[in-house]
Amino acid sequence: MTAKPAAFGASDKLTFLLSLVPYLMDHDRVSVAAVAEHFGVTPERVRDAVNLIAMSGVPGETRQYLHGDLFDIQWDEFETNDTIVLTHLVAIDDSPRFSAREAAALIAGLQYLSALPENADKEAIASLMAKLSRSSTGAPSQLAVSRTDADVAISVIQGAVRAGTQVEFDYLSARGSAEHRRVDPVRIESVDNDWYLRGWCHLRGAMRTFRLDRMSALTSTLVPADTHDDDAQQPGALFVSSADDLTVTIELPASALGLLADYGPEPTSSAAEGDLTRASLRVSHFHGLKRFVTGLAGVVTVVEPGAARQTVADWAASGVARYDAESDRSAPDTARP
Amino acid sequence: MSPTPEHQHPVTVEERLFSLVLALIATQIGLTKSEILSTVQGYRQRFQIGGDNASLERQFERDKDDIRELGIPLETIESPDDPGSNHHLRYRIPKGLYDLPADITFSPDEIMLLKLAATVWREGSLSAESRRALTKLNSLGIDSTDPIVGYAPFLRARESSFEPLSKAMDRGQVVAFLYLKPGESAPRRRVVAPLAVVLHEGRWHLYGTDQDAAAPRTFLLSRIVGPVVARPGGGARRADDGQGERALAELDALWQAQTASIAVEAGSDAAVRLGKRGAPGVDADTVDLHYTDLNILADELAGYGPEVLVRSPAALREAVLTRLRQVRDSHTIPTEADR
Repeated sequence: MTAKPAAFGASDKLTFLLSLVPYLMDHDRVSVAAVAEHFGVTPERVRDAVNLIAMSGVPGETRQYLHGDLFDIQWDEFETNDTIVLTHLVAIDDSPRFSAREAAALIAGLQYLSALPENADKEAIASLMAKLSRSSTGAPSQLAVSRTDADVAISVIQGAVRAGTQVEFDYLSARGSAEHRRVDPVRIESVDNDWYLRGWCHLRGAMRTFRLDRMSALTSTLVPADTHDDDAQQPGALFVSSADDLTVTIELPASALGLLADYGPEPTSSAAEGDLTRASLRVSHFHGLKRFVTGLAGVVTVVEPGAARQTVADWAASGVARYDAESDRSAPDTARP
Repeated sequence: MSPTPEHQHPVTVEERLFSLVLALIATQIGLTKSEILSTVQGYRQRFQIGGDNASLERQFERDKDDIRELGIPLETIESPDDPGSNHHLRYRIPKGLYDLPADITFSPDEIMLLKLAATVWREGSLSAESRRALTKLNSLGIDSTDPIVGYAPFLRARESSFEPLSKAMDRGQVVAFLYLKPGESAPRRRVVAPLAVVLHEGRWHLYGTDQDAAAPRTFLLSRIVGPVVARPGGGARRADDGQGERALAELDALWQAQTASIAVEAGSDAAVRLGKRGAPGVDADTVDLHYTDLNILADELAGYGPEVLVRSPAALREAVLTRLRQVRDSHTIPTEADR
């Protein structure tokens, strides 16, 4: 459905080798386990890298890669005690600079994080971004993220997560009904500009995700929250599939399929039959669908079932009716565009 | 025990790249291509003296690109005796430009923030870039302070044009794509030199010089239809610093300048969500909303159906009404009499 992070390839392995050397240089004796923990990799990957480093070097004057042209370690320590002692260095002794894209990825990430109340210190973030710029080869790519005004809800929820207490709020469901919810907050999730609370809903007796912008009258309580295991879903996954789901067939240009990624559309026809393609979606009711489809006028059309088409048509028609009611005094709406 | 360098195992890609980096840092005057191919681990095993080394040369060209993509400053030096000759070009990596500047240090708090910043990208090439940046950061051996708990923030550039556009921007290439301008029904081919890619109000925008208009323009990534084709070779200048900030400032100014007045149904989804985003309007039931693109806002407002009524501007009112009619008409099930 969505692209996974790229696998650990040759570029990652090279970066690890070039980063491991200066680290080992600064640590006279260090265990494989400690290195693995610091870099967040497996001990096997550390051993492979150390083996490779210890056999590598420069061609040297003889161009024969003689002993003095190679890195060296205390092999006994390595093989017996799983401990690394670097005894000879070649060519490099310092950390490599960041690439322009690496620096840009971190800078954009920092700009995004500055929306969090903890990171309100703009100067600290700006100075860190300047450091990254100076640490990169070439100017960082121009990737920028605008500052968003953090929802006040973030501070309230974050305080409750820290204190281990429950929060309460009124929440509008997609069906349009308001309900009072009591939730053990687990964490705040965000995807681009949308912010969510993930937590245990006492009303539903299950883990749920709530949009922050649909909450009102949010308060932090003094009631202790229980801890919960989360089944680590996708961030911002509002849709919980169940056996009662309804299947809807829609028609849209193949290029627009990405707009529906949250709904996990399954293409039911190939795009070969022209620009339009069909896909099926699973929804728990038609109320979210009608809002979604009406917001993509001219792009997505519901094909079946008829009840779903009708729900969408009614929703749009009642929207039109509001304008008609206002302009009744003037000419009635007869012409269709 | 000291293993001999003449090991029998096939040389892995990372061993060849690592050996190439070491050899090019160790040399002051640089190495010619034939010196590299004949002496450096991973090439020399396949080098044929006096033979055809074309595939090995292509391998070297690819390796050079891969190394440069990692931010390693691989330079070429022309021979003063024989300028313009490929044959006598020398390659090297100046150590002073390879090493992280000596005065750069990070505090444990900064390391913690950078680690969180790196996790923000969860998909695509920027998550790989972030991961490599973290590996380099870890080489400094600074322990981070305890992370802030309870957050899982993610940036997701879902538009398929994001990757090719940001790559072209880095390489200074001009791109061509079909663009469906909001409010128009047919896409038009645009040729653009990318200057910045920015996230504003939750939407990714491309800021660049439109080659036909010879002026800066802003494009919504979600409105780019079909593939982004980079013009080979490039030629466009790499963007100056501050283009991203400039693009955001322009979008902010546009956002500030345009206001819509919307009546919202009390207690509805629209009232809760738009009420948080906008400012209270003249009447109790109206909300004033800033916006950057009329058609994008019209799409969103149409989704609220009868929960909203646009009071002004008239063009927005008309755009929402047109959308509602279009959806109503395309979803009305024909009765037998209509067939």
